[in-house]
Amino acid sequence: MLGKKVKNGAIEDALNRFLKEKDKNKLVIGFEDKENGVFLRAFGDHVENFSLFNPFFGINNALHFRRLFSKGTKIILLLRPCEIRAYVELIKLSQIEREDIIAVSIDCPGTISSKSINNNIPLEAKKLKEYLEGNDMLRWACKTCREKRGVVGDAGIRIDQDGFAWAVPYNNKGDDFLSLIDGELEEINVGMLISESKRIDKFQSEMDKFYEDFSKCIMCKNCRDMCPVCYCIDCVFNGDEYLPKGDALLNKILRSGTVQLPQGKELFHFIRMYHVSQTCVGCGACEEACPQGIPLTRYFKGISERLQDMFSYMSGRDFEESIPYLTFIEDELKDAAD
Amino acid sequence: MSTDKVEKNPEIIGFACLYCTFKASEMAGSLRLKYPEGVRLIQVPCSSRVDPAFVLKAIFEGADGVFVAGCHPGDCHFIKGNYFTRRKIAALKEMLDAFNMKEKIRLFWVSAAEARRFVDKVTTMYNEIKERKNVREKG
Repeated sequence: MLGKKVKNGAIEDALNRFLKEKDKNKLVIGFEDKENGVFLRAFGDHVENFSLFNPFFGINNALHFRRLFSKGTKIILLLRPCEIRAYVELIKLSQIEREDIIAVSIDCPGTISSKSINNNIPLEAKKLKEYLEGNDMLRWACKTCREKRGVVGDAGIRIDQDGFAWAVPYNNKGDDFLSLIDGELEEINVGMLISESKRIDKFQSEMDKFYEDFSKCIMCKNCRDMCPVCYCIDCVFNGDEYLPKGDALLNKILRSGTVQLPQGKELFHFIRMYHVSQTCVGCGACEEACPQGIPLTRYFKGISERLQDMFSYMSGRDFEESIPYLTFIEDELKDAAD
Repeated sequence: MSTDKVEKNPEIIGFACLYCTFKASEMAGSLRLKYPEGVRLIQVPCSSRVDPAFVLKAIFEGADGVFVAGCHPGDCHFIKGNYFTRRKIAALKEMLDAFNMKEKIRLFWVSAAEARRFVDKVTTMYNEIKERKNVREKG
């Protein structure tokens, strides 16, 4: 693996150099270290207080880039691997034009819920990792993360065992990004701080368990709205067909007998589970958005990994890999028909 | 609904491709073949028109079983529609399997000439689901 060793502050310098040349509209989108936490910021003309890591997970930031057709504005995105993976999926679904965007994924030591934001968390890779693992504060989605390494997108920033950052290009755009950084490309011989993740067990559940977990659901649909890959403008649940209201609901109740209100919970979550099954990146943004604390990630991540494994697919791994439902092989799934 | 009935008849929703399975069901009619009246067919222009959301909606609104039926792979009127169906329904089966509900969904390939095969498949499915339903009701 070839890469450039990045000195302290070198990335901030590189980004400032990128923004300085005013031949085109330019933006850098990355994390900013503020007194009261770390937040995402779009830097227009000057990068300050830049942070590689954001240990607080509120939403998956790929959400902001849906329907982003940059129209000549050059953008550098520096985000977590799960966010870059969602970005890659959105490109496949033609929700983003990748022409002028350079997506850089950064090794992620894990995150804690943004509900428990605090100032004691160090922002250096090694200390951060030790802190999060030592205090057992990681979100469930991060404990079971499928790809913590910055190996997705156009370029990656990897952290080695000693806590030094390396910039690694994965394609032509990645080379463009690396040309901003001082230094020479060299072979990386040191081990990395963050290693490949372990796979979780195959998901298996029961309807009774499902009803028990989802009995708290209030059908606010926050999980849908905050999901980065749930991208339909005209969602099937917006009309009356799937979730009837008023008179339509009355008719349905008279037809089928007693129902629990709000009705249609299992329908909503099952359909959503299926619709995002191949694109779900398992970031846990749904669970983070849920006001009732339902363990949504367990279900959505479990189902999506199980269904992606059928087609040996992994969401966001590669720009060229097609989403399984949008393609086929003639000679496969011989036992699908009954 | 009356509860004193001993045997309950299941209701099955079938999504049938206009160019093959639906034609097969019409042919079954003209051959005077009988298939259970609990089976309701919904005509779709191609089996790949069936969004698995339709199937899930049918299941959660009370259907005891759902089947999706289309032309044999390679024979699709729209050239490759049923290859997509195969992937989608196979994934849906896997998903329902994770919740132990796999028996509720079937995928059939029935061409326009196979009226007997259609009746066979549908009747077998009906009987299996009926048996399971009645066992569960008693237990």
